[in-house]
Parts: sequence; structure tokens; C-alpha cells
Amino acid sequence: MLGSLPSFARLTAELGKLPGVGSKTAARLAFHLLRASESDVTALAEALLEMKRKVGFCQRCFHVAEESFCRICRDPARDSRRLCIVQEPQDLLAIERSHAYSGLYHVLHGALSPLDGIGPEDLKLPQLWQRLEQEPLEEVLLATNFSVEGEATALYLAKLFKEKGVRVTRLAHGIPMGSDLEYIDTGTVQQAVAGRREL
Amino acid sequence: MRHVDYGEADRIVSLFTAEDGRQKGFARAARKSRKRFGSSLEPFSQVIVHWRTGRGSLWLLQETELLNSRTGLRTDLPRLALASYAVELVELLVEEAESHPLIFELLCCFLDYLAADGAVEVARLLFELRLVYLLGYIPHLLHCSECLKIFAAEPIRFDAARGGSLCLSCAGPSGFAIDLKTIGSLARTLNVNHRQFTDFKFGETTRHEAGRMLAQVLSLVLPRDPKSLKFLQQF
Ligand SMILES: [Zn+2]
Ligand SMILES: [Zn+2]
Repeated sequence: MLGSLPSFARLTAELGKLPGVGSKTAARLAFHLLRASESDVTALAEALLEMKRKVGFCQRCFHVAEESFCRICRDPARDSRRLCIVQEPQDLLAIERSHAYSGLYHVLHGALSPLDGIGPEDLKLPQLWQRLEQEPLEEVLLATNFSVEGEATALYLAKLFKEKGVRVTRLAHGIPMGSDLEYIDTGTVQQAVAGRREL
Repeated sequence: MRHVDYGEADRIVSLFTAEDGRQKGFARAARKSRKRFGSSLEPFSQVIVHWRTGRGSLWLLQETELLNSRTGLRTDLPRLALASYAVELVELLVEEAESHPLIFELLCCFLDYLAADGAVEVARLLFELRLVYLLGYIPHLLHCSECLKIFAAEPIRFDAARGGSLCLSCAGPSGFAIDLKTIGSLARTLNVNHRQFTDFKFGETTRHEAGRMLAQVLSLVLPRDPKSLKFLQQF
């Protein structure tokens, strides 16, 4: 059906490359854009291009930034003796929303994954070691995910940082706030018991 | 064995089951809500899954009960790397939906042993050897692959491409020299139940030669190099 509409087919193909968008959703979005006003479609197209042209990555921590350095790296009030390591910019934003941390960050853009053959050289790790030559650290907080890949990355980094004499901490994990123990899955309860702390 | 994200909230999970071999399962909302699956679908976990048939061969996962999450594997990088390698070997060598109850037992016992601080080199040797054996790829060991002569304390060579062990007159320059004691030790190991991982001791030479031999056998049957191999060599 779309063979006779090559430009429509091209758009659905491009939309279909977006995460979480299957062919049906892509077609629905394309039909929506087809009916939208020319000015709305132009605004969307320009926003896409402008974002792509202007937003890059911070030269220091690899968070998203519109300038050479991100908002956090430019903020003199942040505690530069603490460094929090996350997998993705979205993870950084999640920690920022908590207002529980005031140090700097380093975004790895991925995690070690033996099953996918992703090794240290595929992450922003050489840049991290380079950074540490100029930035003395007291504490590093490992905030990679609690997946197998995130844990592998944390283990790897913990070993290297300890060798450099830096205090290494890991995000605590366990029972979510406001939840009843009886509804928590076994794996999480196991971790919460293993990671119990003195009161 | 592993999972990949699908869309915004769902996951496609690779399972290895006792009766139905390797299967793919669809776990709706597994990323967003932890209520239904929790951490039970993480790699290396042993679970009971309740499922319905769905589109094509994909199982629609309804509910899971976590039996063993093998958390010990997450606290040590070399063990995690080896566990990943073993899972990848099974993915590469076992056909989808082909029933392999013994390989299932082998993988479970191997992961249990590793998660309980088992010795990494021994675990790898036993797993590779038994996997090759259970899949029917075991080379000729105690006799020459070509003239079938049974070895008596003598120097021999090994070439997986020619079937396994070779007497010197058949071998010529092919393959590599291997100690008959290594071969003997591997043959004896195959007489032990595939679920047992404790109480094995291999000398330095045996481990080294057996590793080389198994690498040669595996590279003949694997469709590609396992991605986790590079990782394994690094840690
Ligand atoms: Zn920055
Ligand atoms: Zn011969």
C-alpha cells in the first residue's frame, strides 16, 4: 500500500528506527503528521535539527550539554572531591531529581557486557582515567544499574579505584520506599537482607 | 540466560529449560513494573515459569517463581565472565527448542558451583569438556583417530580437525604435542557424573593442555567466536 507513497514510506521507516516504536506506531505517527498543519510539522523538523546541531556531550563528564561543559560541571558550588559514575545521562538526571547528591558525575554511556562483548574500551573510561589525573578525588559513588551488566561495571571500577586509594561506595539497593515486604520479589528481599545495616 | 528490552516496557527473555531446550519468552511490562517478574528474569537465575503460547514460537510469560538467583556470581568479575561465556556457548551450540536435559543439568550445576566460590579454571575445563561430550563432539582420546591404535605410554599429538589424538606416525607435523597423561585424565573425568564439580584436581600442565585442546575442538564446532571470550581473557 505504501509503495505508491514513497515519501510516506520513508517517514514511517525513519520513525520505526526510534526506540519503542514498532511499524504500527510509526504509521500512526506518520498519519498524524500528515494531518497536522504545515507550521507544526516545520516546528518539529526544526526542533529535531536544532537539538542535533546544538546539543552535544560535556567534555568533562559526558552528560548532555549545549556548551563545552554541562551545567553541573560549570557550577562552582558542586563538591569536586566526590564523583558519581552512571551508565546514561538519564541515570544522572534521576540522581539529580533526588537532591541527595552534590558532587560531580561521569557518564559512561553504557556498561560492561560479557554477553554482548562490550569491554572497558567501549565506554567513556579512558576519558575517566585522564580526568582523574587532574582531579584529586576522595570518594567515588558507583551508581551503575543493578543488572548483571551494571554490577559487572561496578566490580570492575571498584577494583581500579581501590588500587588508586579512592574510597568506593555503591548505591544501596533493597526495598522500595512505601512498599510492603510481603509483596517484594525474592531476589530483592535477598539483597536487602544481605545489605542490612546497623541502626 | 539473557534479556533484551522490547519497546518501552517489555522484555524478550532467552530461557534454557529442562524439557524444551532453549526458548524465547515475552515478558510484558517487565521493565516498568517489578510486581510480576521482579528480579527473577535476570541472567543466571533459576526460575519456574508459567507461560501461554503466543504469536509464533514466543512464550508469553504469565508468572515466575524465583528458585535461585545465584547472587554469588555478581560479586566477582572472573566468575561473572565465565558464567556469561558458558551461557553463550549453550546459545551458540544448542539449537532452539531442542531438548537437552543433561546439558540443562550441567549448566545449572556449573552455575551453582561458580556462585558458591568454585575454582574458575576447574569449572571452565569441566564445563567445556562435558558440553563437548554431551553434544557428541568429543574427539578420539585414548587411541589414534586414524589407525585406531591404542596408546601405550608414548608421545602423541592432537589435532581436532583430524578427529582428535594421533600417533606420531599418523600425525606428522599436524596438531600439537600433548601429554598422554592429560588425555587420560580427561577420559577419567568423563566417567564422573556431569553434575559433580567439587573434588577435582588438575595439574598445571593438564589444565594448560586440556584448555588448548578444548579451544581447538570448540573453534571447529562454533559458528563464531563467543563475544564473552575476549572478556574472559581480560579478567
Ligand atoms: Zn559535565
Ligand atoms: Zn595412528
